[in-house]
Amino acid sequence: MNNAVKNRIKDNAFKYFGIACTSFGLLMLAIFIGNILIEGLARIDWDFITNFPSRNPDKAGILPALVGTLWIMGLTAIIAIPLGVSAGIYLEEYGRKNRLAKILEINISNLAGVPSIIYGLLGLEIFGRIMGMGGSLLAGASTLSLLILPVIIVSTREALKAVPKSIKEASFAMGASKWQTIWHQLLPASFGGVITGIILALSRAIGETAPLIVIGALAYVPFVPASPTDEFSVLPIQIFNWISRPQKGFAINAASAIIILLLVTFVLNGIAMYLRNRWQRKVRW
Amino acid sequence: MSHLDIELQQLKADTIKMWTLVNLQLVKAKESLLNLDKDLARQVILSEKRVNASELKLDLDCENIFALFNPVAVDLRFVLAVLKINSNLERTGDIAESIAKFVINVDKTFDVKLLEITRAVEMFEAAIKMMDEVMDAFDKENTLIARKIFQQDELLDEINNKANTIVAEYIRNHTENIEPALYLLSVIRKLERVGDQSKNMAEEIIFYIEAKVLKHRSDSVKNKK
Amino acid sequence: MDKLEAKNVNVFYGLNKVINDVSISIKPNSVTAFIGPSGCGKSTFLRLFNRMNDYIDIFKMEGKVEIDGKNIYDKAIRVEELRKKVGMVFQKPNPFPKTIYENIVYGLRIQGIKDKNILDETVEKSLKQAALWEEVKDKLKNSALALSGGQQQRLCIARTLAVEPTVILMDEPASALDPISSAKVEELIYELKNNYTIVIVTHNMQQAARVSDTTAFFYMGELIEHDSTKIIFTNPKNERTQNYVTGRFG
Repeated sequence: MNNAVKNRIKDNAFKYFGIACTSFGLLMLAIFIGNILIEGLARIDWDFITNFPSRNPDKAGILPALVGTLWIMGLTAIIAIPLGVSAGIYLEEYGRKNRLAKILEINISNLAGVPSIIYGLLGLEIFGRIMGMGGSLLAGASTLSLLILPVIIVSTREALKAVPKSIKEASFAMGASKWQTIWHQLLPASFGGVITGIILALSRAIGETAPLIVIGALAYVPFVPASPTDEFSVLPIQIFNWISRPQKGFAINAASAIIILLLVTFVLNGIAMYLRNRWQRKVRW
Repeated sequence: MSHLDIELQQLKADTIKMWTLVNLQLVKAKESLLNLDKDLARQVILSEKRVNASELKLDLDCENIFALFNPVAVDLRFVLAVLKINSNLERTGDIAESIAKFVINVDKTFDVKLLEITRAVEMFEAAIKMMDEVMDAFDKENTLIARKIFQQDELLDEINNKANTIVAEYIRNHTENIEPALYLLSVIRKLERVGDQSKNMAEEIIFYIEAKVLKHRSDSVKNKK
Repeated sequence: MDKLEAKNVNVFYGLNKVINDVSISIKPNSVTAFIGPSGCGKSTFLRLFNRMNDYIDIFKMEGKVEIDGKNIYDKAIRVEELRKKVGMVFQKPNPFPKTIYENIVYGLRIQGIKDKNILDETVEKSLKQAALWEEVKDKLKNSALALSGGQQQRLCIARTLAVEPTVILMDEPASALDPISSAKVEELIYELKNNYTIVIVTHNMQQAARVSDTTAFFYMGELIEHDSTKIIFTNPKNERTQNYVTGRFG
């Protein structure tokens, strides 16, 4: 057997190994989604979405949790996007590339890997207790903002970095100031990347349970939160709560709520993909 | 029009300018010879300096075009042709000057009869006509005109070949006119050279326009298109 | 008076001296070519004239660089103002990912000019100057990125002309183009020199020979010889220049 044949066999072997690995992941996902759909799809109706939680699993609904999730998303976006994007712009374009910047950079990347419950504890102490927000929507959104800030910062920087240096040089050479260059050239050109990062970060925040439990989000909310200072619940907490009950009916409710949560996440991801593709088509280097 | 085209046009204009000057030198040399006009002859000698200056300038222009524009194909052949035509012109200018010098040195007018039997005037006019026509061919980039030159040269050769016998005969009969007769023989020799220069230049023109090398080929080949 | 003048300029990148005591003066309305092997400092030197090196953290310079007799590294000089007077065209065509129209008016917009008449006029005038008007006049609202490489580069030149500079720096403007586009850019440079002072860095010696009035040869951060292009290409005084232009370098 000569070398070329050996190489071809190795090549093929790796190809089939890769196919096997990929199918394993896909299979697991299919089983999971299939399972959830079989269990929960039948339970979803308009009442399920508009009802308040109840002790009776057949009458229980997700309205407060769904509205709470939307509130949390909205507030988190309002807090995290300006902070994260601005910090990303500063670090990429203004900050001098010295040792301090390097340390900062490593730490931001590390923050993205900190377990979310730690953020919950931080939020509980700072927002809940010291700033006196208690278990309000604002405290929850602030905590989640902290959680996703590193992701937004890093993805903003990556998006800015992906803009060719030649565009920046061209703008400077035309007599543009730094801010004009960022505003007229860098941000429009990196918009797709920045938006994608933001939406992926938000879709991470939507699924977080632990930090919100820690800061004191409620499992049973008999009202629809109406202002940022109200107490709240979110879908993952509702799911967690139902799952932990012994009655079979609540397990079905949990499956249905998971379908709704997945739907929201998929929609967000879909928007992210759409925007990225749209912008990539528009901006070709 | 590209930058190189402008330079080549300028080069052509300068070449024609020098050519006109050289042709004028020949005409003046002829006039001074016929009329023994020594002032006109001196003028020719003075103007020779301008011819030389033109030669240097054209050389420099060609050098610059080679160095700066790296001409290729027809442009390359054109500049090469100009470079050679330039030295042909300079030599033709020298011939006009030396004829003018004969005019200054001779103290007697040329015998009209001698001029007639040697056909010197006819030869002179033919040579000037050849020069004019080659210049025309160069100006119009017309190889048909250039090809006609080779035939015309035959007349000059014929007159030149017979000149020895005719002048020898004349000297035997007119011993008092030996010196002018010898000068005239030299003039005829020089005019034959003018014909050769014209032929060379015609060959260069055909080379640059048609990329055909006609040097050292028989005249019958040259006349074929 | 000389348009551009550098006096005893040294440039350092960190501890590396990349330009060593270079002095040069450049006449107005002329084309000057900087030639030399890669890494000889010619691009760095070119970028001194619009202070594009300022963005390099480890950049440091000594000496004077004057435009119209004014030291452009003076504290009182605003670099944005300087760059309106000294335009730059880069090696790779780098139009903004916007329409052709927006590319041209960018320089005016950042100066705060909003009058549509002025903008329209400038677009037409600059594109005509850059010999691009006929090719793009019907698609001004199309993306500049849809143009061919050569058209993009002429667009970049037009964009530079739009802010009415007096000096145009060109960093290998034709090296990324095919021969036909390259020739068009060269012809354009030749046309523009009537109204602008142009400095061009090029690796292509024939290009330097064709377009420039004077040529400066750089080697290892030093200016070896600066003379009329005819002299540099027919009878250079320095042996290293001769070896370089004849391709016998090394």
